[in-house]
Amino acid sequence: MDLQMRKGFSKPLILTSEHSPTKQNKKTLDTIDNMSPQTPPVMKAQVKNLNFYYGDVQALKNVNLDIAERRVTALIGPSGCGKTTYLRCFNRMHDLYPGNRYEGEIMLFPDNENILSPKVDPIEVRMRISMVFQKPNPFPKSIYENVAYGLRVRGIRKRRELDDKVEQALKGAALWDEVKDRLHNLAFTLSGGQQQRLCIARALATDPEILLFDEPTSALDPIATARIEELIAELKEHVTIIIVTHNMQQAARVSDYTAFMYLGEMVEFGDTDAIFTNPRKQQTEDYITGRYG
Amino acid sequence: MKPNIHTHISRRYNAELEDIRNRVLVMGGLVEQQLVDAITALADGDAQLAELTMNNDYKVNSMEVAIDEECNQIIVRRQPAASDLRLVMAVIKTITDLERIGDEAEKIARMAMHLADMERPKNSYLEIQALGIHVRQMVHDALDAFARMDSEAAMLVAKEDVQVDREYESIMRQSITYMMEDPRTITRVLDVIWSARALERIGDHARNICEYVIYLDKGKDVRHISLEQMEKEIYGLS
Amino acid sequence: MDDATTGGLRLSGKKGGVDVKAVIARQKTWDAMFVVLGLMAMLIALVTLAALIINLAIDGVPRLSWHFFTNFPSRFAEKAGILSAWVGTTLVMLVTAVSAVPMGVAAGIYLEEYAPKNWVTDIIEINIANLAGVPSIVYGLMALGLFVYQLGFGQSILTAGLTLALLILPIVIISTREAVRSIPSTIREASYALGATPWQTVKDHVLPYSLGGILTGMIIALSRAIGETAPLIAIGALTFIAFLPEAPITTEPPFVSFEWLTAPYTVMPIQMFNWTSRPQAEFHFNAAAAGLVLMAMVLVMNGLAIYIRYRFRKRIKW
Repeated sequence: MDLQMRKGFSKPLILTSEHSPTKQNKKTLDTIDNMSPQTPPVMKAQVKNLNFYYGDVQALKNVNLDIAERRVTALIGPSGCGKTTYLRCFNRMHDLYPGNRYEGEIMLFPDNENILSPKVDPIEVRMRISMVFQKPNPFPKSIYENVAYGLRVRGIRKRRELDDKVEQALKGAALWDEVKDRLHNLAFTLSGGQQQRLCIARALATDPEILLFDEPTSALDPIATARIEELIAELKEHVTIIIVTHNMQQAARVSDYTAFMYLGEMVEFGDTDAIFTNPRKQQTEDYITGRYG
Repeated sequence: MKPNIHTHISRRYNAELEDIRNRVLVMGGLVEQQLVDAITALADGDAQLAELTMNNDYKVNSMEVAIDEECNQIIVRRQPAASDLRLVMAVIKTITDLERIGDEAEKIARMAMHLADMERPKNSYLEIQALGIHVRQMVHDALDAFARMDSEAAMLVAKEDVQVDREYESIMRQSITYMMEDPRTITRVLDVIWSARALERIGDHARNICEYVIYLDKGKDVRHISLEQMEKEIYGLS
Repeated sequence: MDDATTGGLRLSGKKGGVDVKAVIARQKTWDAMFVVLGLMAMLIALVTLAALIINLAIDGVPRLSWHFFTNFPSRFAEKAGILSAWVGTTLVMLVTAVSAVPMGVAAGIYLEEYAPKNWVTDIIEINIANLAGVPSIVYGLMALGLFVYQLGFGQSILTAGLTLALLILPIVIISTREAVRSIPSTIREASYALGATPWQTVKDHVLPYSLGGILTGMIIALSRAIGETAPLIAIGALTFIAFLPEAPITTEPPFVSFEWLTAPYTVMPIQMFNWTSRPQAEFHFNAAAAGLVLMAMVLVMNGLAIYIRYRFRKRIKW
């Protein structure tokens, strides 16, 4: 699916000939820009007409959204706008509680399957899509066992294999150096920021296709927050990331695409840069600039 | 999205944005006055007025510094986004151009001082005066467009710059003719040429300000593109 | 207003018409009064308890000896001992624990983790809470009809154990549910989010983390059962047993015997009850000594419960 043809994705950032200075200067600009030019986005998941009901209350109204592979998509909006509800649809967390109902589809690619379908086992969905929660919630086990749990659930038992994967996951979460000497200490001996990184390692250990972040830094201090934002920037090269945040500057710093939700509806969706410098809808503008309310 | 300065949840934020806007307009008014004074001093041979104008330039400079500082504060405190961000960016850029206009006006005043001591030509610098009035109108209209955040008005002003450039070229040709005809007039004519150049530069700065107004209003960066493309951007979006 | 005696913060008296110092002083008087009242209430309770224990000790301590623990009851007070009683108590408690705990824990976990929230579950919950308050003699009568006669277990340790198990089952279920409920839902969600099934979540997280609470509840339930007399009398615990049931571990194959389950028996409370109903004063001393032993057993069990709770609390911080 060629994402570039779809509405909502503006053209990738390329210097047009009218704007570009002389050819010589353009070369300098390219070398200054040390972020390698991104390959055009490929679709990972497509949300079609998603409606969600907590019992009789409708929490999501006709949401349509495309998630690009190996990019960060951020969801912003005021409290109660449905962004966490929307996120939890992706890993079928709502199935754990009675009275919830999905309508519509979330198509996952390349399988082309609707993960909301009652025929699809929610446990299988959760095996492929992992989540990091708002408040760090490590198990009251050792650091090693925390990271290894997802692997054990998948039936991996060999000690060496577990060791390797745990190390990989902890390295991926930028935590390995800090804990490699105390893997068998309880997870609670870590600081808040470290615990959250542990939860990220736990989610990474199972090689998820999509990683869901539910306000991952709202309980952390600024330094821990910065570390995790840096981590997300590194992770997105391997994993598709969807992040819900109520901190708009974080969405601006961290994401490639941003969606603004309000009262259960998707109001606007597009490139993060465009949304934060020149949004199309008045509602989006009002929320971003603090004129909301 | 046209910026709407009012109705932030934080009224202090409203006030801060309102403040930098107003100060830009005040600075613009001062600069405009400097320009008028400089041209009048040149046309009338009024050395005193010229000196006054030169001495007043420091006011323009200190206003630039003050407004810049305040924009800094807003960025630090408020992390402005969307239209607020564009407003602050536009203000920062506009005051730079206004300060340059002030410098050019000072140059004109200096030329006026020189010319006041010299023999006056028959037409009393009419052509310079005409160019000066034209350019002054450009600056005035540009500031007006800024105040109303009106990109269509800004577009019209930007187009005027073409006219201004032509007038400048004509003055240049005339001056060269004078110098070739009567070498004794070279000193005087050179000063006229510098003044004309300063005015042409002021026209360019006024056009820059219009480009910022369009960015502020439409969110489109229209620097360094042709007028036709600029028009397409404005009308294509509205 | 220079008040040299107050030191510290010097606040002048009136503030907006309210004399701050007087208000504080008044409130502090109420504080002091409550402290005195509370202290008195606590002392009354403690002193009464202490008096009972000391009385018991005065009567019973002289009778505590090795022979007391290893002798069977006898017509002669000096020779009477509690051997059959404490062995009986231990064996009955064993049966009770083995029956009540797995059933109670499983039921508690089922109700918390698996049962759908509908009116049927609500009725079950209400009934369990009610059962905890049913008088124990009722359990005895029911056991008499069901276990002794209907199922033919007879007047044996097995019957006693099962009766007491039913008695404490509601307590075990309730304490299991409380322990499981204290696990934050975020931990469960984290487990499910990694792709675990409900059983994996229970096995790897719910059970291990609530173990402290479950064990504590179990011990408290058992220390309640240990003192139950009425139901055991109803189902035929004897008061004069001069022999021990057959040992569970034998010298010949199959090395484990369940004969003791069907043996007649007695328990400590009943032995005490028997001795106190005798007219001779010496038997009363015996009863006092037995009472001390029983209290010591309960204390040890509760102490164990507290220790377990402490150990588990160190590991788990929500």
